[in-house]
Amino acid sequence: MGRTLPSSTQNFLQEQASFARFRRALRRSDQVALDDLFASARQHLAAAAYAANALPFETFLLAMLLEEHKQVMRLRQLVEADLHITPGDG
Amino acid sequence: MAELTGWLLDVYAGEQGLTIWLLTDNGERRCLSQTFPVTFFAASQAVRQGLDKLDLPAHGSTSDLRAAWRWLSSQSEPLRLARAERRDLFAGPIPVLSIEVQQPAHLPGLFRRFSAAFPNLTFYDADLPISLRYGAVFGVFPLCRCCVEVQGNQVKTILALDSPWDLDPEYPPLRLLALEPDCNPSHAVPKGIIFSYKDIRYRMPLEPVRALLANLKSILRTYDPDMLLTSWGDTWLLPKLLELSQANPLPLNRDPSALITRKEQRTYYAYGQVIYRGAQVHLAGRWHIDKYNAVMYHDYGLDGIFELARVTGLPVQTVARVSPGTGISSMQIMTALRQGVLVPWRKQQAEAPKNLFELVRADMGGLVYQPTIGLHSNVAEVDFVSMYPSIMSHFNISPETILPGENDPQTGLPLTRPERGLVPTTLQPLLQKRIAIKSQLLCLPKWDPHRKRYQATASAYKWLLVTCFGYLGYKNARFGRIESHEAVTAYGRETLLRAKEAAEDLGFEVLHLYVDGMWIKKPASATPADFQPLLNEILTRTGLPIALDGVYRWVAFLPSRLDARIPVANRYFGVFQSGEIKVRGIELRRRDTPDFIRETQQQMLAILAKAPDAEHVPNLLPEVQALVHRRLADLKRGRVPPEKLIVRQTLSRELDAYRSPSPAALAARQLADRAAPLRPGQVVRFLYTLGKPGVRAWDLPGEMDCRTIDVARYSTLLERAAETIFQPFMSEPVETKLPLFSGLYMPNKTPLLQEQAAVSWISGMA
Repeated sequence: MGRTLPSSTQNFLQEQASFARFRRALRRSDQVALDDLFASARQHLAAAAYAANALPFETFLLAMLLEEHKQVMRLRQLVEADLHITPGDG
Repeated sequence: MAELTGWLLDVYAGEQGLTIWLLTDNGERRCLSQTFPVTFFAASQAVRQGLDKLDLPAHGSTSDLRAAWRWLSSQSEPLRLARAERRDLFAGPIPVLSIEVQQPAHLPGLFRRFSAAFPNLTFYDADLPISLRYGAVFGVFPLCRCCVEVQGNQVKTILALDSPWDLDPEYPPLRLLALEPDCNPSHAVPKGIIFSYKDIRYRMPLEPVRALLANLKSILRTYDPDMLLTSWGDTWLLPKLLELSQANPLPLNRDPSALITRKEQRTYYAYGQVIYRGAQVHLAGRWHIDKYNAVMYHDYGLDGIFELARVTGLPVQTVARVSPGTGISSMQIMTALRQGVLVPWRKQQAEAPKNLFELVRADMGGLVYQPTIGLHSNVAEVDFVSMYPSIMSHFNISPETILPGENDPQTGLPLTRPERGLVPTTLQPLLQKRIAIKSQLLCLPKWDPHRKRYQATASAYKWLLVTCFGYLGYKNARFGRIESHEAVTAYGRETLLRAKEAAEDLGFEVLHLYVDGMWIKKPASATPADFQPLLNEILTRTGLPIALDGVYRWVAFLPSRLDARIPVANRYFGVFQSGEIKVRGIELRRRDTPDFIRETQQQMLAILAKAPDAEHVPNLLPEVQALVHRRLADLKRGRVPPEKLIVRQTLSRELDAYRSPSPAALAARQLADRAAPLRPGQVVRFLYTLGKPGVRAWDLPGEMDCRTIDVARYSTLLERAAETIFQPFMSEPVETKLPLFSGLYMPNKTPLLQEQAAVSWISGMA
């Protein structure tokens, strides 16, 4: 079952590999953060494939941003809940 | 004139016309013949492509057709030539040279010479199986009930009394003789042949040959079987018997005037796998089926083979050995013959040019989501019923109905012509019958004798339907065109997204989407009835039938083995409310997993399945842990029988072609000196052992020293398999992360898991 174009997983792995030199030059702790970013983009490969953008990395960046924003929303919720429970301490 | 009623067993080209075998109602096996001229067509390529109007230089032009006519007139075979007009599936009506061959047996030889002499012509209907031509004219098919008018042995008329789409056809009372060697000939040299007929069964030694042949001859004469069901009959037994009986032939054929047909072994690559097909031996007047060379025999057995012969129109011996792809393409040929559409000898439909952006949009498969990792309770799995075939049928997708480059401006989906296409016409009855059988199966009690045959039929049909989609885009399919293949996946993606939207609109959380299935949950939805409104909504929005596969008490979606943050599609296990366990993508599903490991995983899951709901699963983990300890101890103390440790792997290439040999190749090398060398696609069985080369082929003769078994290696395999099952219940992913992130980044942890105590099984096990 030949395919003419690489699948979105292949695209993703290529893009990730192309940043190998960048990653290598990062501090170890930053490398872990970068790996996390890529792992979060990977959760949206199906959507990236469906989007069929000619520049797939744009979609992957947006996917990373999406996961980051979810994290921000989650943390904000926690902080706000915390503030509400103990208003006197604020 | 006499009238006979019975079952049609076989049709093939004989010395005079066709030979037809009929099993009559009074138990006679009648060998009849019938005159049956066959026709094929030649057209100039220019005509087909509509280039003749452009006044281009002659290349397969009408002058070639005139030369062809002259050449054909000078041949020795009796022929009738005529000018005619016939319908090409893509080009519409075209002028053709019609060549009627009086004797069907002459066609292959004549066509070989003709096509070599006129390579620029386009040929149609040139290489069709004779049983399909016969079926298209008279509406009969292998194993059909029929009524035949005969004069002497000549068939005058034949009429089918049933239809391939009957749910409960009446099958003929066949005489079945089983023959098998006393061991697998690719592993050791057999010493005898075991023969069985009904309750009689005995073993005949291969030596002395004279006695063996005399015995076999009298068995064949006495029982006169309709079918020889053999083990390794294609690859060893029949070739061996033919070799032994050269001087004094055995009556293997029932038709003494016909030859035994033999075909070479071959290895090919399909759907990402190397597949081996052994040599074949076809008999005339009686069938020969080799259990180990029949396609999917383990899946649907003889019942499935008979059913396939009925619906595809291919002879029983052929259909047993061909892939479902050949089956579905035969059905398409039959539709074409009945509709008077020309069947191209070779496919000619090339892909229409696309620009990069069109290609990026079109060259996609089904939607495969990354599931939400972790343990979930009360999850429903809903699947579209035969999704791709339903799409082809519902949206009329066929190579000739697609309008390349024309899309619906709103949805972006490909547009099709309104006339009913060839592929949907072929599929429709198949889909309907499969759905009818499936609903019968739901109502029948477990003990009902019909169940087995219904299941075999449903399974055989499943493969026909699955390959039908692949054949739309297959480069060698006669009625294929990549655009129609792409159209099916485009509709598939649209359908699944509409289903997802419907689920989310009704408040469900979508955990996973996989091509034609969806896993969803919603608080307080736990019974099948809770999901019915969603099924109705999806049917309304997509027009395609969708069914509830079941509601899981709990299901665990597993992450990648390499990185616990990364979800993997189609790797999960769970327990339905019925108690049934469903597993995908883990060790026990793999064909190369030793029985010992597979059984351990099954037992682990069986313990977990006792939990009434997800909350109670952790209570059972200590029991599972104890089981793993016990199994590991059994392994270390040598209490596991070596046959439970056999690894089965398929060879992917010729033995000399391995640069660094895999364990399977090493084991196959040990066998190479003894029996016939194993070919790519064949399975080799071996154990992991200590020292070099690290494996021992299971089929090596001589006693195996159990002390040489590589216990450490099997322990690792077992621990890894156990880890797969424990993974969803562990508090932390397997790799630990740096403190900065370990607290923050917890992708998709379900609240359920976070509340539960961690199970640290690895430390307990060491």
